Amino acid sequence: MALLLQAILNGLMTGALLAVPAVGFSAMFAVLRYPNFAIASYATIGAFAAWVINTKFGAGVALSIALAFIVAAIVGAICEWLAMTPLRPAGALPAAIASIALGVVLENVVRFIFGNDLKAYDLPIVRDIRFGDIRIGPQQAENALIGIGVMLAAFAFLKFTRLGRAMRAVADNADLARLKGIVPAQVELVAVLIGCGLCGVGGVLIGLDTSIDPLTGFRVLLAVFAAAVLGGLGSLPGAVVGAFALGIAEELSLFIVAPTYRSAIGFLVILVMLSVKPRGLMGDRFA
Amino acid sequence: MTNFSIDRRALATGLAASVAAPAVVRAQPSGPIKLATLTPLTGAGGPYGPVMATVAKAVAEEVNKAGGVLGREVVIVSEDDQTNPEAGVRAARKLIDVDKAVAIMGTWASAVTTAVAPLCWESKTFLATVSGADSITALPHQGYLIRTQPNTTLQSKKFGEFALELGAKKLFYMAPQTPFTQATAALVKAAMEKAGGGSEMLIYDDKKPSLRSEVDQALRYNPDVLFMGGYAPDTTVLMKDLFRAGFKGKLITFAYAVNQKVVTENPADVTEGVYTLAPSTAEGSPAYQHAVELSKAANPDPYTCQVYDHVNLILMAIAQGKDASGAGIRENVRKVAQGGGTKVTNAIEGLKAIAAGTKVDYEGASGPCDFTEAGDIIDCKFRYEQVKGGKIALMRIA
Repeated sequence: MALLLQAILNGLMTGALLAVPAVGFSAMFAVLRYPNFAIASYATIGAFAAWVINTKFGAGVALSIALAFIVAAIVGAICEWLAMTPLRPAGALPAAIASIALGVVLENVVRFIFGNDLKAYDLPIVRDIRFGDIRIGPQQAENALIGIGVMLAAFAFLKFTRLGRAMRAVADNADLARLKGIVPAQVELVAVLIGCGLCGVGGVLIGLDTSIDPLTGFRVLLAVFAAAVLGGLGSLPGAVVGAFALGIAEELSLFIVAPTYRSAIGFLVILVMLSVKPRGLMGDRFA
Repeated sequence: MTNFSIDRRALATGLAASVAAPAVVRAQPSGPIKLATLTPLTGAGGPYGPVMATVAKAVAEEVNKAGGVLGREVVIVSEDDQTNPEAGVRAARKLIDVDKAVAIMGTWASAVTTAVAPLCWESKTFLATVSGADSITALPHQGYLIRTQPNTTLQSKKFGEFALELGAKKLFYMAPQTPFTQATAALVKAAMEKAGGGSEMLIYDDKKPSLRSEVDQALRYNPDVLFMGGYAPDTTVLMKDLFRAGFKGKLITFAYAVNQKVVTENPADVTEGVYTLAPSTAEGSPAYQHAVELSKAANPDPYTCQVYDHVNLILMAIAQGKDASGAGIRENVRKVAQGGGTKVTNAIEGLKAIAAGTKVDYEGASGPCDFTEAGDIIDCKFRYEQVKGGKIALMRIA
């Protein structure tokens, strides 16, 4: 029982790390209508931006995360405008493939600037707190709370602000939104800023837990994509549910399969979900 | 029309001949001698590959200034294997087919070397590698492969002995899936059981941001020594999760997984006390000093030293056989590497001696550089180190 509970707790912590970039990925998909695989590099860029301000200027976690959001959002918006906007009329598939290429380019730009060596945030590491046979990592719990806080802020933005409502309107029906006077280009820009910014924050959360290098975002790309597909591409609550479900599924899978196959769970989730329920757990737009 | 048909036929004949021609015909008869480095500039081996490529180019530059080899310039073409077998194969194809390199040097990850080696022996391109998996020299490479890294059997034996020396009764081995993982686990287990101890293993997915559940599994065995068999990124995740879980036993790992960068970048609590093992360089030897100068690194790592040796050996083998082809290198590399004769520590000395008709025996920056028939290194010392107060301190070289 304790083992099961521990695995679920570990899964929730992993899920919290994946949920933030998964929400960003889904937000962009909802508005732009293509899966942006360059999110891996935006996560890496966010992680490195936070690393610079944390290690060179002594900034704390909150400020580092804020900067990561801003830098990843700006880089994302510039790349979208330069590389993706001209390609999007060609359809989702060319755009998706181009985003993979863009991701590789950005990853190597990071490598060129920061090198290949591992880097870590200048933060103390603390031992887990034990409750009988169950242990909880204060840092992971903090990361999970930060993740949840960032997601709540994103949801509040979508729910209660004019821009957020416009975003949802474009996601629901772009033509109708245009008739109502909403300028899609503006909404798309906001979606990219928020989506890439959230990916940047996700990169920092992963880095806080591990270390960072130019492949930080790439390593979790499949898991993030799987979480978004599981929840339903384009559905933000779905991305959160998908991330937690995937995190828990991966941890529980260790009772059945060897740990080396953990990544296969992500593929399996995509395969099963697309076969059984192509719109995902909470998706209603993706078909 | 007639001309055209002849041209077309000639072209077809030429193409067919070029494909069917044996490699010796396709060797570089004139122009520069092209050698290649295929090192990991990116991926888990990224911290090592760039310096490896740099030292190879520096050796070539030095040799060119002294007049080249067989009166020809030496050109080094460098590609990135991305620490990824698929990318490695693509890069090797380019080096062999487009650049016409006669030798490839420096493949690092065993998985990459395993994938690239068949391309080399099929095209009669010589391959000098720093990979350790036993399976590599067991490949049917027909002599087109040597390695300067001690094989898994030797390394695992050393790890097993070291764990016992640290008082291990119960050892747990955690590693990602690599060509040497299973062999290492089996050998370490045998060493432990022979001494009356026990050993268990777990293979993890090295792309995961957290290994908490894997650590839980490992700690249920209650090990007194944990052997971390991964590369730097995943070993960092593992060490952090072990610390958080409150593991109080001893940690041992490969020196490439916990290098000075990893120690510097991580909180001191995480890496303090970790023991590392690595094939030792021939520190203090003339070849090592020369590798220091050329690599511009104060303490060049074993891989940099090994690639320095690869280039020197290959250039001398070409001079020895007066044959700038993979087959020529294969025939002559042991003639310059071992078997007695004038001791030389770099290609310039060696080339002079060879030109004077003297038998040479190369003593390298990574060690004596003597090879078995299969291509394994015969003798190698190991470097035992421990992290103390944020620095990697040498315990001994043995």
